[in-house]
Amino acid sequence: MLRVLLLVAGLAIWEVFARLANPLLYVPPSAVLPALGRLLRLESYPDLLASLLLTLREILVAYALAVVAGLAGGFALGIHRVIGRAYGPILAALYAVPAVVWYPSLMLFFGLGEASKIAFGFLLGFFPITLAVLAGIRQVNPQMIMVARAFGARPPVVFVKVMIPAMLFTLVGGLRTGLALTVIGVIVGEILGSRSGMGALINHAYGLFRTSDYVALVLVTLVLIVGSDALAGLVERRAQQWTE
Amino acid sequence: MTTQRARVLSLQILSVLVVLAAWEAVARLGWVDPLFVPAPTAVAAAFLRMGRGALAGLGDTLAKTAVAYVLSVTLGVGLGIAIGSVRALRDVLSPFVVVLYGMPKILVLPWIVLLLGFGTTPAIVYGTIHGLFPVLVLVMGGVRDVDRTLVTVARSFGASTWQLYWKVLLPAIVPTVLAGMRLAIVFCLLGVLIVEMFAGVRGMGHVLGSLANGFQAPELFAATALVSVSSIAIVLGLDALNERLSIWRG
Repeated sequence: MLRVLLLVAGLAIWEVFARLANPLLYVPPSAVLPALGRLLRLESYPDLLASLLLTLREILVAYALAVVAGLAGGFALGIHRVIGRAYGPILAALYAVPAVVWYPSLMLFFGLGEASKIAFGFLLGFFPITLAVLAGIRQVNPQMIMVARAFGARPPVVFVKVMIPAMLFTLVGGLRTGLALTVIGVIVGEILGSRSGMGALINHAYGLFRTSDYVALVLVTLVLIVGSDALAGLVERRAQQWTE
Repeated sequence: MTTQRARVLSLQILSVLVVLAAWEAVARLGWVDPLFVPAPTAVAAAFLRMGRGALAGLGDTLAKTAVAYVLSVTLGVGLGIAIGSVRALRDVLSPFVVVLYGMPKILVLPWIVLLLGFGTTPAIVYGTIHGLFPVLVLVMGGVRDVDRTLVTVARSFGASTWQLYWKVLLPAIVPTVLAGMRLAIVFCLLGVLIVEMFAGVRGMGHVLGSLANGFQAPELFAATALVSVSSIAIVLGLDALNERLSIWRG
């Protein structure tokens, strides 16, 4: 109750302040709703749907690549102790680099189009997935593997029946983080330089000082981001129930 | 144990060398376009060529990051203690903090640049926003989870509110604050670099962006390596400091 009150009060103060100071710069909330309406009726940006689909496709391709490469990389590193201990720290050190420093190189290499966004989203999503697989493998109790082996289970069976269930929780957490970072990566890439997609629309509105349209576009993009994370959260909860 | 460590280390060094050699060979043989993938030796030469200019850009970026870092840690710890320890504030504000923490900051970047213009101020502000929330959320949680018994005992021994904060709460959340400080540095650097790329006139982000636009791949790779190495060095330095402190704490 108090929270709602605070939210309303905050919006009201903002509204008054924005009108007094500079409505174009501070975008009063009352200007956002009409702008959102215009946007959703495809009046201000007729290519909204195409841009949304393009961004979504970039995200899906980047995430699919990140999942495949992350799982493969994680298992390859986790299969042998020495290999894991040699490359794990290198991977962790690279993870400590603010990822955006790679983006200009990717732009140079892949150009302004969707390939550079996919590459950047992939890069951001790949690390948490690989690191989660590595952490998950370390969680598997070696005795369980030994027992399964002693009862005559072959490696693929051990993998599916013993290892995957034991590490599922960590794995799914990593997959969720990977998705969130892939989404951010694609959108950061689009905002830093692109010709199409949601980021390009946001830049266009910003460049032309169409601030209320900009806020409306941000809200639509936010729905995309929050929606994808909510979906991942749902899957995570499923996996959690299944392990228990 | 030591033999394994030696094996790990030699494997690490060996594989870095192999990758560099393979890369050099591929570039020399012309299998990749040197316009896009320059050989490591070309990158090293470019690094020497850039020398002072690159270091000046790096210094500029690191100075902004340092300001943003101090701001975000101070604000994060201060606000975190305030919100975490006062029940009413926590109940009302914590959902807002969590939402703001989860919201991708990139979406407000154009607005910040619109408000603050190009240059140093938006970089510091955006870097601070990036670093603030991880610290804030961690400290809020840390304060909330302080052992209630400690507080009750201190109270019953007649500790004043000031003493309660200074002698009980603060020492209890030191590990949380350190964890937050470790996280925040990368976020601050990330924020500063993004602003420099988006609307910079100086700094490494701007340097990287303009090198990419100018198709100067060797210089671009050299600058990327410079930023990466320095950020890894900073993080490892903080980790070492952290370890020192935890030994000292016992």
